[in-house]
Order: sequence, then C-alpha cells, then structure tokens
Amino acid sequence: MKPMIQTKTWMILFAALLALLIAAALLVSHRGTGKIANVYQDGVCIRSIDLSAVTEAYSFTVTDGKGHENLIEVAPGQIRVAEANCPDHVCVHTGWISDGLRPIVCLPARLSIQLEDTAQSETEGLDAVIG
Amino acid sequence: MKVKRLIRMALCTAIALTIFMIEARIPALAPIPGMKLGLANIVTVWALFTLGPVDAAMILISRILLGSLFSGSMMSLLYSLSGGVLCFLLSLLLRRLVTEKQIWVVSILGAMAHNVGQLLAATAVMESWTVWYYAPVLMISGTLTGAFTGTAAQVLYLRLKKLRAIGREKP
Ligand SMILES: [Zn+2]
Repeated sequence: MKPMIQTKTWMILFAALLALLIAAALLVSHRGTGKIANVYQDGVCIRSIDLSAVTEAYSFTVTDGKGHENLIEVAPGQIRVAEANCPDHVCVHTGWISDGLRPIVCLPARLSIQLEDTAQSETEGLDAVIG
Repeated sequence: MKVKRLIRMALCTAIALTIFMIEARIPALAPIPGMKLGLANIVTVWALFTLGPVDAAMILISRILLGSLFSGSMMSLLYSLSGGVLCFLLSLLLRRLVTEKQIWVVSILGAMAHNVGQLLAATAVMESWTVWYYAPVLMISGTLTGAFTGTAAQVLYLRLKKLRAIGREKP
C-alpha cells in the first residue's frame, strides 16, 4: 500500500514541530518581572501578596468546599504550595516560585498562583492570615 | 459472534484499565500539570485499527469512566474525558490517512490532541488561561510519549495480525 503521506514527510514535520515547541518553551520561561503573587481559585483571585514586602514567612490554607486543601507558604520574595491533599501533588512538587511566568497549578483543586505586576484581589497578604 | 465481540471488548477494557491504574502509581517525572505517559492509549490505538471505531470508542469510554471511578476524582474524569475524546476524534480522522506502518503518527498527533483537550477543560474549569504556560512542554512530552506508545501499538498490531489471532470476523 502506497502511503498518502511519506513517512519521511511525517518525520520532518514532527522534527519541525518539536523545534518550534522547544523554542516556545524557552521563550515563555525567560520572561516575567511580577512580584505580586495572585492566588486564583476557580478563576477568581482570592488573595494577592506583594512578595517583595514580605519580611517574615507565614502560611495559610485554601479550601474549596469540595474537600481539597492547599497549604500555601509565603516567604520573603517567594511562594509555594507546601502541602496539598490532591491526588497528583503537582502543585507541591512545583516548589517555590519567585520570578518568571511559571505558575503553580493544582488542577484537582482548580487553584493557581501567578506572579504578576499588579494585585488582582483586595485581600493583602498579612492582614488576613487564616491558618 | 455477539458474545465474542462483547468478551473481546471487556478484555481490552480490563487490560487498558490495568495499565491505566499502574501508570497512575508511577510518580510524575516533572511537576507539569497534565503530564503523563499515556500507556493505556496503546490499547485504544490498537483497537481502533484492529476492531474498528465503534469498539475502540466503547473500550476508551469504559476505561476512562472506570479509571476515574477507581481513582476517586470527579475532576480527573473531566480532564481525561475531554482529552480522550479529542484524541479519539483526531485519530479517527487520521486512520484513513496512514498506512499500517505509520500507526505511530496517529499516536503522536493523538497525544497532542489529548493535551489540547485537557488544557481546554482546565481553562474552562479554572476560568483562566494560566495553564497554557505549560502547553509547549506538555506537547513536547506528548510527542515523545506518543511516539513510544504509537510504536508499541504498531508492533502489536502487525504481530497480532500475522498471528490472525484477533480481528474482525469476515461475514
Ligand atoms: Zn495539587
């Protein structure tokens, strides 16, 4: 059977696609200057923390009412999810983020933490420490 | 013949589900939301080429439903369903475009469609495009794992075909 598209053509196509994707991955990992950590749940920013103003480490827990809990730890200049009860623990393994565009994402808890230039929530870091 | 078909589909679902559950126990190589090996897709791709679209779709849906039930997360059902359906639809379109020695192509593009489907579901659920930051690296891993599972499915298809052990009955 004669192929409609040669195997060689497919290979060139995938090689080009890979090169393009690697370029895109490098491009997104080298930008971002935001120092305000915005914590989003279901697309709503529930908390904004100016990481450059943090002098002492503290932590708080975010719950979603469906059994998911994420313990968020804030330290001078950086933020992470320290503990979570999601099945994959991707959010915990992402570790500390302090610069760049890389967000912390917890798919099961529909939670994300992003470093941005502006605060998206009224709730500032220190005044409403929950946990 | 109807019973034979049913048993065959049940058997394939059981195999796919076993692979799926074992894979879920393997710790992720990198903390990338949605990244996985997708080994269970070997069964889906093989079934698509050997048993046809209807049987393959039933095996896939059964595996996703049961897999989410066993892992106990409604969220994971949504993500794997949207990824799985998009992957299957693209594979269905590509099926007629490739020869039996190009089955790996279907798997690579299917893996990418799976990633897009999952990202779209995550975008809808989280109401934010944040997750797309991980799109390039997800697609890179999808290309590599897709090539691996696709090659496995292709070898399986060609060898089992030679054996004439399993296949669609001639009327
Ligand atoms: Zn998580």
